Amino acid sequence: MTMARRTRRGWMETQARRGARLVPAALGLALVMAAATPALAQFKVGIPLPLTGAEAKFGEMEKQAYELAVEEINAKGGVKDQKLVLDIQDSGGRPEVATSIVEKFLTGNKYPIVVGEYTSQCSYAVAAVAERYQRPYLVVTGSADKITQQGWKYVYRLNPPASLYNLGVWSFFKAVAKPTSLAILYENTDFGTSTSQAMKLWAEANGITVKAYEGYQAGAVDFKPTLQRIKSLRPDVVYMVSYLMDASLLMRQSKELDLNPRLFVGGAAGFTLPEFLQNAAEASEYVMSGTLWTPQVKYPGARAFFDRFRQKFGKEPDYHAAEAYAAAYVLADTLKRAKSWSPEDIRDALAKTDMMTVFGPVKFISWDKFTNQNRLDTLVLQVIRKQFETVWPKEGASAPYVFPVPRWRDRK
Amino acid sequence: MSPELAGQIELLLQVVIAGILIGGLYSVIGLGMSLIMGVMRIINLAHGELMMVAMYITYFAFTMYAVDPYVSLLVVLPAMFALGALLQRFLINRVMYTDSILPQNQVLLTVGIGMVLSNLALVAFSANYRSVPVSYAGATLYWDIALGGQTIALSFNVPLLVAFGIAVVLTAGLFLLLMRTDVGRMIRATAQDRDAATLMGVNTKRVTVITFGLGSALVGAAGTLLVPIYYLFPTIGAPFTAKAFIITVLGGLGNTAGAILGGLVLGLAESLGSAYISLGYKDAFGFVMFVLVLIFLPKGLLGKSKV
Amino acid sequence: MTRARLIAAAPLLVLLAVPLAVSSSYLLHLLILVLLWIVLGQAWNLIGGYTGQISYGHAAFFGVGAYTTALIYQATGSAAMAWWGLLAGGITAALLAIVIGWICFRLRGPYFGLSVLALAEVLRLVATNWKDLTNGAEGILFIPAFTSKAAYFYIIAAILLATVATMRAVVGSRLGYYFLAIREDQDAAESLGIDTTKYKMISLMISAFLTGVGGAFYTNYFGYIDPGIVFNLQNISILMILIAILGGVATIWGPVVGATLYILIAEGFRVFIGAGHLVFFGALIIVIVIFFPNGIVGAINDRRAARARSSAPGTGTPGTEAAA
Repeated sequence: MTMARRTRRGWMETQARRGARLVPAALGLALVMAAATPALAQFKVGIPLPLTGAEAKFGEMEKQAYELAVEEINAKGGVKDQKLVLDIQDSGGRPEVATSIVEKFLTGNKYPIVVGEYTSQCSYAVAAVAERYQRPYLVVTGSADKITQQGWKYVYRLNPPASLYNLGVWSFFKAVAKPTSLAILYENTDFGTSTSQAMKLWAEANGITVKAYEGYQAGAVDFKPTLQRIKSLRPDVVYMVSYLMDASLLMRQSKELDLNPRLFVGGAAGFTLPEFLQNAAEASEYVMSGTLWTPQVKYPGARAFFDRFRQKFGKEPDYHAAEAYAAAYVLADTLKRAKSWSPEDIRDALAKTDMMTVFGPVKFISWDKFTNQNRLDTLVLQVIRKQFETVWPKEGASAPYVFPVPRWRDRK
Repeated sequence: MSPELAGQIELLLQVVIAGILIGGLYSVIGLGMSLIMGVMRIINLAHGELMMVAMYITYFAFTMYAVDPYVSLLVVLPAMFALGALLQRFLINRVMYTDSILPQNQVLLTVGIGMVLSNLALVAFSANYRSVPVSYAGATLYWDIALGGQTIALSFNVPLLVAFGIAVVLTAGLFLLLMRTDVGRMIRATAQDRDAATLMGVNTKRVTVITFGLGSALVGAAGTLLVPIYYLFPTIGAPFTAKAFIITVLGGLGNTAGAILGGLVLGLAESLGSAYISLGYKDAFGFVMFVLVLIFLPKGLLGKSKV
Repeated sequence: MTRARLIAAAPLLVLLAVPLAVSSSYLLHLLILVLLWIVLGQAWNLIGGYTGQISYGHAAFFGVGAYTTALIYQATGSAAMAWWGLLAGGITAALLAIVIGWICFRLRGPYFGLSVLALAEVLRLVATNWKDLTNGAEGILFIPAFTSKAAYFYIIAAILLATVATMRAVVGSRLGYYFLAIREDQDAAESLGIDTTKYKMISLMISAFLTGVGGAFYTNYFGYIDPGIVFNLQNISILMILIAILGGVATIWGPVVGATLYILIAEGFRVFIGAGHLVFFGALIIVIVIFFPNGIVGAINDRRAARARSSAPGTGTPGTEAAA
């Protein structure tokens, strides 16, 4: 084993020379890349979304909704006769990538406003960046309560906070279901945790026993041991918060195990996607879910939006798409009212928003600990004969609810 | 008997059944890695990605040609064997015999391979989850046992039962191959002592190619068997690679019987752990067992590794 | 002597000048990432490249450093106080190294690395489930102390210089020779009277300390962490290994090359192509491992050594390089 001999000085010299050559080369390449930013000719808005990764389905749906809305807005003349242009970038659902993207939007591209993101985590991270740079940020889907509980001045949220997602479900529970006990199963993510936490607190405050409260890592293959344990506890209602694939597996495995609570309730997200009906097949029948929007709502243009989206993209939009579509319109409205397109003026115009969209009324108010938060009622849908039907509140219902749901083995 | 007691008995039985059934599938995943590790002493960190490739083959066979997943095994097995053999022949073999500062370059090579595979799939097929909605995906066999005036209702998921059955067949096939054929003897010889095998005239380079092919075919089969009851996406591989090396260590390297046991033990541990201890820590049980076995039972649970 | 000093000081001057010359915040952001990854690559290199103990789970130390910092913030409510996390996080990570080393050092080769991986995953699950302590999957968020990127750049540059100085001091000292001896043949080293467990532990502790500092910096810079980010197998543990391997194990400049290449590829692809940078990176790994098994800088070193040997009389056999 021979070791090459080197003097300390000679080594230092060679190292420094080698290194000194590398760094300027790296810097040069990086500078060239950064210089390649285009000049603004129309109004460009930056939108980070998860186009790859676990939430890709939702990201894709929102992207399509934004595009549909912008197409319509530009067809009617755009904003102040300028075309509205979207710059949608893929964050992959990772907060550090989302912040990187938004940093570039705000400092590189110098967009005066940022819209979008899907997961609570990413929205939260982006909001912090926007607030730091003092640029307005319109939250569209991220639902964790804390996003609008920080007293931030530049962050405005269109969608309701997670703790209020279940308003419709709670009203149904109080009026009709009156459950005595509840089993809660949720995905260990920002969204899953905040939504299920809210349900747990509400249940405890209303005298409902929470027999199980289990968080799980997304991507599990076999939920049966846990579902069986829940079965042995015999809860009245089983409440689950998941994204798409877990929602389908949970229902299929519940059917296999013959787990028969009086009702299955999902906490939106995976339970409201059209793919849930396909993947869970018969197991999706009679599953209820809280939701923020259905095509049957009485807001003007809702049904037309649903039909146009389905026609253009070949699939049915759910509440995520409605949020994105409405957000684009809120943006256009804001831009039209803004005195100028500086970040401050846009922020002021955004704060004064008071309009009706297909998603519902949009007005940013503050209450409790929330600031700049839109306030909306939520609905309940139920899968009846393989279709999503709005079942609660009764006034807007498209079909009567089914409760208690028939036992698995008794179904056709 | 009280309903509560019946419920507890039902819970225990159902959980054990679930653990054994999923354990069977895990065994097939671990079998491939155990073979590779036993013969070549390399940890294939692209194991899960190979499974992913097989799952996509199965998916496209179904959506484009309406081939049932179980039938597509006939395609997946040779295709994955070929892929594994090619990877070994042209990439991994080149690194196994070169001199470098760190002897673990082979493992890092497999990391690179895995990265390329999963990201190619990401780019080509997007990150969307895909599922193969076969009609029998939710098929279940029910067995109601009357006990002390109560009914214990047990359910068995049919695709998992079939997967278990096929896993048994594959294991038996591998066992026969290793014990009764010349190729198998060559593989076992190389696993025991590569230099001695070379001296005895075994083309060890060819043996490594065949072994990696076999290992890939096995994990590919596991992927195909998983398709009806799960879903697929490009980055599905990583957790299964972890399970594979946990099983390999539990069973003892190169020990095929051990891999079966390792799979079942892992399946049961996850099942019992998630039902009785905590669902959130389900994956931790496997990892903790892994470290404990490595430290206290380095030759695996059976005390016999081929290394 | 003066010329050599100037050349050696060149990188230092470049580092000092960068935030003054570069006005783009985005570019500074990229450079900060590069410097952070160089620190992490160096840290891994110490236990992996120099001591030969390949750890697949360094995210354990990164995450512990990150969470220590975040918890300081939660306890004090002040982002400024969170900077103490650099010290506290490093120390906590070093303490964790004692535990992990005690458990895992009896294992050899890849089993050591895999058991560290297993423990890192367990830590991730603990951080996810122990909501009272870590806020679970929701993570911890705060507004970072400084708005200008330049401040962060100087901090990470200072950390980097300290890291490099530490590496050179350690590697050039007797410790360094012990590490190499352990890497080459642990049993031979043991038989020569080197307490291999003690020195492996020292190496791991320093490596863990530096990694923990990196995690603490990450938290202070990004202002948001959760278990999936900081205990991440692919994006932290494996990436640390790849950056060190790509650039060149057991070299000081290796991680510089590795980190620069990785960030360039990642951002370059994301900006211009949109996706697929990891395909390229993975392919690059394959190529490097096959054709340049000692990394890029390692290959340069090997070639120079070969040239030196062929021109000098009485050449020895091609063998391992000492600190380079």
